[in-house]
Amino acid sequence: MVQFHENIIADLLEEPSAGGGLVVLSSGLALHKLIAGFLHLHDTYEGTLLILSASPSQKHSILTSLNPNPNNESTKSPSEITSDLPAHQRLSLYSSGNAFFITSRILIVDLLTRRLPTSTVAGIILLNAHSLSETCTEAFIVRILRSSNKNLYVRAFSDKPHAMVSGFAKAERTLKCLYLRKLHLWPRFQVYVSEELERDPPEVVDIRVPMSAYMVGIQKAVIEVMDACLKEMRKTNKVDVEDLTVENGLFKSFDEIVRRQLDPIWHTLGKKTKQLVSDLKTLRKLLDYLVRYDAVTYLKYLDSLRASESFRSVWIFAESSYKIFEYAKRRVYHFGRSKGESLTTQDKSVKSKKRKLDYSNEDKEDSVAINGNSSVILEEVLEEAPKWKVLREILEEIEAEREKQATSIDECVVESDQNNNNNNSYNGMVLVACKDEHSCVQLEECITSNPNKVMRGEWEKYLLSKVQLHALPKRNKKKTQNQNPKGFGVLDGAIPLTPTKGAETSSIITQEHNALLEIATEINKRTQKVVEFVQDPPNNVISKGRGDKGNKKKATLKKKTDTSPIKESEKLPVLKKHVEGSDGNFKKIPPVHFYAYESGQQILDVLKPCVIIVYHPDIAFVREIEIYKAENPSKKVKVYFLFYETSTEVQKFEASIRRENGAFESLIRQKSMMIMPVDQNYGIGQNMETESPSKQNMVTRKAGGQKEGLKEMQVIVDMREFMSSLPNVLHQKGMNIIPVTLEVGDYILSPQICVERKSIQDLFSSFASGRLFHQAEMMVRYYRIPVLLIEFSQDKSFSFQSTSEISDDVTPHNIISKLSLLALHFPRLRIVWSRSLHATAEIFASLKLNQDEPDEAKATRVGVPSEEGIVEDDVRAENYNTSAVEFLRRLPGVTDANYRTIMDGCSSLADLALVPVERLAELMGGQKSAKILRDFLDAKYPTLV
Amino acid sequence: GASSSSAQNRNNAILVSHRQKGNPLLKHIRNVRWAFADVVCDYMLGQQSCALYLSIRYHLLHPDYLYFRIRELGKNFKLRVVLCHIDVEDVVKPLLEVTRTALLHDCTLLCGWSLEECGRYLETIKVYENKPADIIQGQMDTDYLSRLSHALTSVRHVNKTDVVTLGSTFGSLSHIMDASMEDLARCPGIGERKVKRLYDTFHEPFKRTV
Repeated sequence: MVQFHENIIADLLEEPSAGGGLVVLSSGLALHKLIAGFLHLHDTYEGTLLILSASPSQKHSILTSLNPNPNNESTKSPSEITSDLPAHQRLSLYSSGNAFFITSRILIVDLLTRRLPTSTVAGIILLNAHSLSETCTEAFIVRILRSSNKNLYVRAFSDKPHAMVSGFAKAERTLKCLYLRKLHLWPRFQVYVSEELERDPPEVVDIRVPMSAYMVGIQKAVIEVMDACLKEMRKTNKVDVEDLTVENGLFKSFDEIVRRQLDPIWHTLGKKTKQLVSDLKTLRKLLDYLVRYDAVTYLKYLDSLRASESFRSVWIFAESSYKIFEYAKRRVYHFGRSKGESLTTQDKSVKSKKRKLDYSNEDKEDSVAINGNSSVILEEVLEEAPKWKVLREILEEIEAEREKQATSIDECVVESDQNNNNNNSYNGMVLVACKDEHSCVQLEECITSNPNKVMRGEWEKYLLSKVQLHALPKRNKKKTQNQNPKGFGVLDGAIPLTPTKGAETSSIITQEHNALLEIATEINKRTQKVVEFVQDPPNNVISKGRGDKGNKKKATLKKKTDTSPIKESEKLPVLKKHVEGSDGNFKKIPPVHFYAYESGQQILDVLKPCVIIVYHPDIAFVREIEIYKAENPSKKVKVYFLFYETSTEVQKFEASIRRENGAFESLIRQKSMMIMPVDQNYGIGQNMETESPSKQNMVTRKAGGQKEGLKEMQVIVDMREFMSSLPNVLHQKGMNIIPVTLEVGDYILSPQICVERKSIQDLFSSFASGRLFHQAEMMVRYYRIPVLLIEFSQDKSFSFQSTSEISDDVTPHNIISKLSLLALHFPRLRIVWSRSLHATAEIFASLKLNQDEPDEAKATRVGVPSEEGIVEDDVRAENYNTSAVEFLRRLPGVTDANYRTIMDGCSSLADLALVPVERLAELMGGQKSAKILRDFLDAKYPTLV
Repeated sequence: GASSSSAQNRNNAILVSHRQKGNPLLKHIRNVRWAFADVVCDYMLGQQSCALYLSIRYHLLHPDYLYFRIRELGKNFKLRVVLCHIDVEDVVKPLLEVTRTALLHDCTLLCGWSLEECGRYLETIKVYENKPADIIQGQMDTDYLSRLSHALTSVRHVNKTDVVTLGSTFGSLSHIMDASMEDLARCPGIGERKVKRLYDTFHEPFKRTV
């Protein structure tokens, strides 16, 4: 454990009466180890410790740092409370005094149903505190626990300081909603932290790799387009001009900056502004992928993008965008007429090998003839990523140095242990760290085989996907053309890249397209032969081939991602073997391990590398290395950073440090100005204040004429609604919340009143999907007063659209038309318009006056098909793979009537993908719908190009 | 002759109560004919549908007005709309009162933020009098790509570009549903999170065993 972690822990433990605090630390400062430290100190006699809002990778890292050896089941390791556990088992766990991971949804339900004895809880550890809001479920949980357990501590953590400063006084508001008073800031520049990490820092080698000319061209073009989009955005006068810089545009948080400013007026924005927001996002991805993906994959992504971007997108038609597409293509292949009459000038600066296709065979000559008398040449360029070569060189250099050292040690074998130790540490694993799994796999291939082979593999796959997809539309051409020219979609025809260049261009595009298909067909034939040779031709030859490849990959991946400390000796031979098997002209390289940040595993402590090559520089990972070094002071650690020179990669890395420092400076300022009452019961006191007046109110109102007198107001709430804040606000108003799973409606206010709640976004999307129509139908069938609640958000505008957006005549897609149609078809449906969450709570209270309290048992039975019988468990929604159910219900042929039987007959969607049509007919109760579904599942995706 | 055509006119037109004379809202009813007539509601939109117009500003001055107007309507209309013009800033309290009155007396409340919007509601209800509900029943475009997109984008964070990437990589939906995590991860633009979401959606059982 690092020293400053102990300082943080001591700080938090010092003030038990404050009931905890909020800790914000720099990203990469090993938050998981800090949490593990707290868990170590936990003792069962204190009571149960609940860990909320931990992401799966955080859970994993916490568990690994608590217990590096998973074979030794330690009692300290927290287990997880899931909804799979029956209620009585959960109860016994809550009272056990151990530590548990739990989701806020399960916890709030167990609190509301009083299944959790609050006195048994010692405290809460809350991760990702930056994502909390005043009305979130976590705040709800803390309020309930605090109100009955005054000794409870709440320790909240965040390692995303920039997210802690988004919005007005976010840190203060977060403290208040958790009833905390103390903010602890631990930036990287904090004196204890910097002293400890800089005492004996690792040796750093900073390598700047020049980008290829085309990469530079693409980057320049993307930035130009980005700049143009930002200029357009400035013209709208909707976003603070200061925020609209290219540097901000490099970060994901840019979307948040823009959305936060635009959200209040989102529904009044014109289409163009909305499009600009999404275009900027796309452009940021293009910059990111430029340095992450190989040339072919990048081109493939651009292809997908071009096919899916709406015609409205501003950027795709910008002048510089043409360059993006053109350069991306030229990194992969070069297309032109032979005899020097090339269509595009060749760029000499591309160093990668060019290979001319063999045009000698007859097939090719045919195609040339078709292409119109002048012969056409498609030249493969297949530019390799410049970093690949550099990575190779570094590895060779490391190996050479090691050999040198080894021989020198051999010479003086008699020398002291010191040298030996040195030698040992120096011979450790080399770690290459990338952003994503995809890069890992690819780099490993580059190192173990030949980079050119890797490019060729990608290129063949790219082409194959074209020919495979091309097969079907050709066969069905007549049908599709006659019946439904749109049928196979926008993608079937070539999308005009250069709309200005007219007929000549389009013929060139066709030629190019044909040439690509030609090569693809060749490759396809080859693959087919190979597969036939191996086994009988299966239904789908190509996909089979792909499947095989996939399996191979699986094997290598498994090896890599498995963190359970396999003995390193087991690992080395495998990698070494690859090395030996590679082309002879390469020098020897040391054993290498590839690691993706995305996987979120604690690789440094497991592998103990002595050389780390940071292939994609990332600030959090740099800190992880620093901590690793600080924890292993005797170990020699050498770090290589690979940056593309003058790239946005460098810019982004440097900006991320500036941004984090800025965030901390702002937090320090905020902390100095915070007004936190010294009263230790502040939290609970405030709680009483807000709750009591409404409670009294309610009591007097009720006492007026109602028989049940002092009884609390009850509201039955669907389990799924606990994702939203309304249950929290209703509870704040003094209502008794009963969580159950409802088939019809979201809130049941009385035996007569059933409410379906829609935020504005939900309203639009559920009109589009038809879900709202169905929900209205169900509510009208079962309740006397069915209510559609349209809930606006307090910080967004209270209207659907600006006056200028109302067209001159009645149009079917306008929200007014949809609401009118809903009213016409369901004249009994009542519509409630609410300004905000809090207004909704007022409306609910008012509607409940003079109504009976709802009946829980009855409400849960409404709309449940009789064959399913009575609802067996309270957390039924948790027991479904809701995302799979939603997906299933969107497939053609699947209806409200048959989706349940399909789920009974197939275990999962992957299972469904293989079910023959006959069996589907049985499950779906009809040949016709079964055929529709089967055809849809097997339909060939239309070709790109 | 004349009488039948005028009857037809009356059927195709919104009948406006004389009470509404001078309401600037009338200027915004342009896509449908309208005529003054002796009707008990403010706007008669069809055989069985009618609307009362209420400005929040007026409601603040005459809080009982709406209730008395609704009571006059009688039981002859299937759809009784209270068309509420939100023309004040501080709307929460008056809107709560209007909501409560409309809801408890069998009226459908529709809100407009401008006279244009209020006028458009009246026009639309008249124009759509006999229209089937298909545009709100989720019958989207039936072409393959729209349907594929509709299904795949139900998985969180999957966007239209991802749909194209998945489609062109795997060739058909059944192959996408059957893809391994590794193959999903090789698709450009599909990061760790999306891979996991997609894979879990396809491979986790529909019903979890308890």
